[in-house]
Amino acid sequence: MRLQIKFAIYNALSKALIIAAFGAALPVVVEKIVYDHIDKRLIARTERVMKIIHRGGIEDIKAEQDCSFESYNILKEEFIAIRPILTTDKIPALQVLENKQWNIEGENLNHRTIRTPFVYDNQLYELNIGEGLSTIDQLKSTISKFSLWMMIGVVLLSIFIDLGFVRVLLRPFNRIVTSKLQPTISPTSFNFARVRSSTFEFNQLDHSINDMMQKIKDAFLIEKEFISNVSHELQTPISILQNRLENIIVDEKVPEEVTLKLIESQKTLTRMSKIIKALLLISKIENDQYLKNESVKIVELLDEVLEEIEERLQQRNIQLVKQFHDDFQYSPCNRTLLFTLFFNIVNNAIKYNKEGGNIIITTQKAETNFIVEIKDTGIGIEESQVKNIFDRFKRLNQSNAEGYGLGLPIVKTIAAFHHIEMKVESQQNVGTTFKLIL
Amino acid sequence: MNVLIVEDERSLSHEIEIYLTKQSFNCDVAFTGKTAADKIHTNSYDFILLDLGLPDVDGLELLKDAKKANSEASFIVITARGEVEDKVTGLDLGADDYISKPFALAELQSRMQAILRRKHGLKNNTMNIHDFVMDIQNRTVVANGQSINLTKKEFDLLHYLGLHKNRVLTRMQLTEHIWGDVLEDDYDSNYIDVHVKNLRKKLAAHGSIDWFETVRGIGYRVNA
Repeated sequence: MRLQIKFAIYNALSKALIIAAFGAALPVVVEKIVYDHIDKRLIARTERVMKIIHRGGIEDIKAEQDCSFESYNILKEEFIAIRPILTTDKIPALQVLENKQWNIEGENLNHRTIRTPFVYDNQLYELNIGEGLSTIDQLKSTISKFSLWMMIGVVLLSIFIDLGFVRVLLRPFNRIVTSKLQPTISPTSFNFARVRSSTFEFNQLDHSINDMMQKIKDAFLIEKEFISNVSHELQTPISILQNRLENIIVDEKVPEEVTLKLIESQKTLTRMSKIIKALLLISKIENDQYLKNESVKIVELLDEVLEEIEERLQQRNIQLVKQFHDDFQYSPCNRTLLFTLFFNIVNNAIKYNKEGGNIIITTQKAETNFIVEIKDTGIGIEESQVKNIFDRFKRLNQSNAEGYGLGLPIVKTIAAFHHIEMKVESQQNVGTTFKLIL
Repeated sequence: MNVLIVEDERSLSHEIEIYLTKQSFNCDVAFTGKTAADKIHTNSYDFILLDLGLPDVDGLELLKDAKKANSEASFIVITARGEVEDKVTGLDLGADDYISKPFALAELQSRMQAILRRKHGLKNNTMNIHDFVMDIQNRTVVANGQSINLTKKEFDLLHYLGLHKNRVLTRMQLTEHIWGDVLEDDYDSNYIDVHVKNLRKKLAAHGSIDWFETVRGIGYRVNA
């Protein structure tokens, strides 16, 4: 998931949470405040009523049949009631404030009520003063609705604003990622252009990445130049030895056993020279020193490779099966390098084949690309080792074949140079399949 | 045949000189670009073998200059770098061939002979090996009026052996000649034996091939 979206989601969720908490708390708080106000009012009224009673104002009530008094306003929102407390009733100790259903003219209405017991004329009475709660309930529901809509609105708005803001904020970061952290670019094509930002950390990041890239590039170039120079410098002494041995071998006076030893030495020198050439080839391809401006018919090229390699097939008695379904004009490419690529793969298939085995080469057009498959019925390699076959100087299962372990690294380098995707499947004692997707 | 060897590595220059002298070339050597330029301007050569990696002058510049001063000469450019651009530029500037280090002296000689053949036209265009006649131009082999169908490699092999008659060519020399710059993984290749076997079979069907000798452990020889 992209950082920007994560930020937006986080912000939206955190805001929703805060607003939800606020929305949940609001009715409770509102209720508390409103009750406080009502309670104060009720207490004040109780005091006033008590004053009236003590001045003797209760005589009227006593005149009533059941010795009680009840009064309420027209909307039944407020009432005052005085009732005598019978001895059978539980005697309330103190003033009590509570919400209570109060029946007024057959209607049960919720009221905030204050009950105050008092003694008058040796009779225990209870004063009830109430205020209706229907308006308050309404208020509470209005506030809840309002806060719900408010919450939705704020969350939506914040998602938009955050997306926009985070986008602007992260723009330099995204630019650093897209311009500098592409996995495919080689050190020679690093992008060192500064990414400007007003954010300190991004500047720091860009700076550090540039520094690191510079170091990588320098190390890369030094390594390549080193390989290239060493190769050049080594070829000359090898050349001298090679030619000196050749001159000695030609000399008829040299005894045969010496000649044989000299020939062995020549082979060793050739081996050295080939390793150097292979390393130089790899380094030159990696340095983009080869042009890629030719066009090649793949089947034609494969036929050429097979002609070049036929004696090896013959020598190991290997049957070659060509399944060339389609041809493909591949361009731009480097013909010589492609030749080497296929040569090395087929050579590998011969080397690691069984005596009298098969090699099946298939070419096929796919939807958007062209596939060349080279399959052998050879000794194969363990699945866990497949990833290592392209490593330089790594030799697997080579007890029965000679080589210097650079054939496949060369293949890999050439494939990468042409952006050819390569898949290798192998099974021990069954064979190996190289699949090239052009 | 006068040959000038322009090579700053004295040992290498010396080995080339020994070999070519044995093949009846008159050799002259120059270890620096400056002496080479002097010699090229004063003497006349049939061949100039020029190492591009000279310490004092740009090899390609020297080639351009030498080409003007010694227009009759054939040029073979030698380099340790094997750079494609160098090769192309060298050939563009009029070099007749290009050989990269390390190379077999036998290969150098055969390249020189090929240049000579090209220069002198059709005169020397067939090679006789006992009953077999090779037409170099048309790449055919005829024995007793019958033509023999050889592959490209078989033809090259026979031709190379014929060029170095009476001398053993090692498997390595033959391999280098046939496969040249194919960069492969095997340094100990006896694949040449496969071709020799096939070649012998084809030739033997048309006449005696006693002259086609295997030198045990070393290589092959065509005896005159």
